[in-house]
Amino acid sequence: MDLVNPGYATYALRRSGQAIVVVLLAYVFTFVVISVLPGDPVTNTLRNPQNGFTEEEIARIVAYYGLDQPVLVQLLDSLTRFLIGDLGVSLRSNLPVSRLLVEVLPSTLVLAGAALAVAVVFAFAIAFGVHYLPRPLGPALRAFPSLFLSVPNFLIGLLLIQLFSFQLGLFRVIDSDTGVATFFAAVTLGIPVSAQIAEVLIAGLDHEAQQEYADVARSRGLGQVRLLVRHLLKPSSLPVVTVLALTVGELLGGSLITETIFGRTGVGSLVQRSVTTQDLPVLQAVVTLAAVVFVVVNLAADLVYPLLDPRVHPRAGAAAR
Amino acid sequence: MTTSRMLAIVAAALLASGCAGGAAQSGTSGPPRDGGDLTFLIDSLGDTWIPNNSAISSFQGHIWGHVTDKLVYVDEQGTPSPWIAESWDQNADATEFTLHLRGGVTFSDGTPLDAAAVVANLDIWSAGDPARGINPIGLFPKTYEGAEAVDATTVRVRFTSPTLGFIPTLGYHGSILISPKSLALPPDQQADLSEDIGSGPYVVESWKEDDSVVLRKRPDYNWAPAALGHQGPARIETLTYKVVSEQQVRTSSVVSNQADVAYNPSPKELATFKAQGFTVAAPRYLGFVNGYAINTKVAPFDDVRVRQALQRGVNRDEILSTVYADDWLPAESFIQSNVPGATDHRATFAYDPAQAESLLEQSGWAKGPDGVRTRNGEKLAITLHPNPYLATSEAIDELVAQQLRTIGFDVDIQTFDVVTYGERVKVKSPAVPAYEVTRSFIDAGTVGGVLTDANKGEDWFNVQQSDTRLVELATGVAGASDPAARNALLDELQGYVLEQAYFVPLTQIAQRLYLQSPRVQGISYNGVAYANFYTAWIS
Repeated sequence: MDLVNPGYATYALRRSGQAIVVVLLAYVFTFVVISVLPGDPVTNTLRNPQNGFTEEEIARIVAYYGLDQPVLVQLLDSLTRFLIGDLGVSLRSNLPVSRLLVEVLPSTLVLAGAALAVAVVFAFAIAFGVHYLPRPLGPALRAFPSLFLSVPNFLIGLLLIQLFSFQLGLFRVIDSDTGVATFFAAVTLGIPVSAQIAEVLIAGLDHEAQQEYADVARSRGLGQVRLLVRHLLKPSSLPVVTVLALTVGELLGGSLITETIFGRTGVGSLVQRSVTTQDLPVLQAVVTLAAVVFVVVNLAADLVYPLLDPRVHPRAGAAAR
Repeated sequence: MTTSRMLAIVAAALLASGCAGGAAQSGTSGPPRDGGDLTFLIDSLGDTWIPNNSAISSFQGHIWGHVTDKLVYVDEQGTPSPWIAESWDQNADATEFTLHLRGGVTFSDGTPLDAAAVVANLDIWSAGDPARGINPIGLFPKTYEGAEAVDATTVRVRFTSPTLGFIPTLGYHGSILISPKSLALPPDQQADLSEDIGSGPYVVESWKEDDSVVLRKRPDYNWAPAALGHQGPARIETLTYKVVSEQQVRTSSVVSNQADVAYNPSPKELATFKAQGFTVAAPRYLGFVNGYAINTKVAPFDDVRVRQALQRGVNRDEILSTVYADDWLPAESFIQSNVPGATDHRATFAYDPAQAESLLEQSGWAKGPDGVRTRNGEKLAITLHPNPYLATSEAIDELVAQQLRTIGFDVDIQTFDVVTYGERVKVKSPAVPAYEVTRSFIDAGTVGGVLTDANKGEDWFNVQQSDTRLVELATGVAGASDPAARNALLDELQGYVLEQAYFVPLTQIAQRLYLQSPRVQGISYNGVAYANFYTAWIS
């Protein structure tokens, strides 16, 4: 496998160029979308009738934040700062955006990572169960992925809290960062994701099990488990990688609801607060970050593909699957 | 917001059913004791921590109340009493005040809380610092001229016109004393709570943006207001404010003994919690009642009879029993009844649908076959905009709409989120016949400043200065220099505003609600309804 052939280099370069354009577009797009909405976080806060500010006082503060400038001027300003690596200051909290991101990222990465692990374990367990558990258990398990997908994850979260926290006292909702609390949050977030992985894996295993090479292996007297581990798993995992790459977005999106229910601060809750208060600098940073993550993960998936299936070549043409 | 609403409904159903069996631990009200940790679950920690910019937040006020002191303490009845200012005097026309400060008070960074520090704070409250994006305190008297430190413990404050409200305003939640070192910091550093140094009974031990704030008691604190009946350091060792945005998760955590206090439980559930042995508190704040300020420039509300019909068409008892629990009170005026100077004018606007209908008949609005009144082919219509800053507002407006429909109004309700509301619903806007008011203030002098546009007033009823009687009474209240004379004027003003039906009162507000574990004892509440744990202990 010559991963660094000239075709691949051109391909990688082009993909990276596209990635940068995608990130920049995401940045500008967020700005435009938020800007066309009425209001801004500063005036919204000042206009709270509890404040009792005069229009004059409000106008002075709005001018300080440059929010009275034409949208285009504001965009150019923000883009210039972004290109030199300055993410700006949150209009809501007045804290540097970089500081906010650094504060919330670890918690979300831990949650998303744990959820992914939970999802993969669940998915593989279900897929194996479907194939190897005796009737009627095995076939019955086939219903689980669609069941998992159709139960909203806030419901799962609330049930888990109700049972394991309020009834059994295994963890306190307020200690949201402890291992046990994180585990249950990860289960909440991971269950719908596991369903998608399981569905693809089951389909893959079904397909591979009917191939001739599987029959050959069976006729050689290979046990079911060894057949699975040695022969079926690897080709069946190929689409799983694609699904995994796609679920990164789901994990980030789903983390909003899970974080709300479990009282965790993370990227999800930061986005929620920023959206409701139109905190543009924070939103731009998060959207850009999400775009970067997406692009990187998809690139990584493309690179893993040839390792799992030698028939896939990372040449420019072949890689554009 | 559909997701969060759906969440709330499901959470309510699930958690309420699961926790119904829970009961409070035995609440023995023993003698005060030191030690223990308290966990307070709160919906949010607000936005910025820049002291001036955050001071009105209903959430951050809890933390400021423990890490900072004020010059004056104002209790639930609106009575000011000494705190950092041991005493004060004023000149005859209330344009100059002298504050005598308590000696030996220090901020937790060691800086003395002396006259110079007080002057620095007064200046930033009154004007903010626009060059650094720091707001003034909105309700600080606009008549402020300047302050000077006469000596280390004496401050002289001057105003351009009589300002009786100055002393009570020093007890307002915005008037928090911050170390001059913190005030001089750039805004992004002031936004870091641990840089905002106060002189209060607690200091910030740690905090995480919109997640939690941990406060630890200050062992050398010794300057609490005498009115609280406790001196020296606080009793409880640490206070943890933890954000749990789901209402039901907050209350269920207290019910299952995982936390001590939950902020803002649903008013309708208070009775259930009480029955289970938990303490619920719904302290009233000082301010305007919840009600509608009527835009008199929008037809047909330029007709006093239509306004009066509106006032008499609202059944306040039904609102109290449908939307609220027992702890709520009907409005007696357009200001809360605990504001000093508030008087009972219930008779002026009592519910009387028959009279309301006859008033409408008199002004030419005849009932059509569909029950809606018309005049010259035009419908008698009103649009209500629920106030997004008050959780119960939408339910109240829906009920009011039903009530008004029975007397012939065609009522439309337009609900907006906070952002859109700020843009679309403004006092005096031609599209807003009834602006729903909820606002706290600490001194009735504020009232004079909002009713007309005299002296840059907010002009809530859009009358500018056309109603000379109103202008006379309002400016009289705003500029009074003698409390007794002011109270007489204030009584007349309340009567006049309500007779003219410029304001349609609904109910008194208890905006801050608390669900408490019975093991927390001795909590006190100030004039703006914040729970103070300085006096509390854990039994």
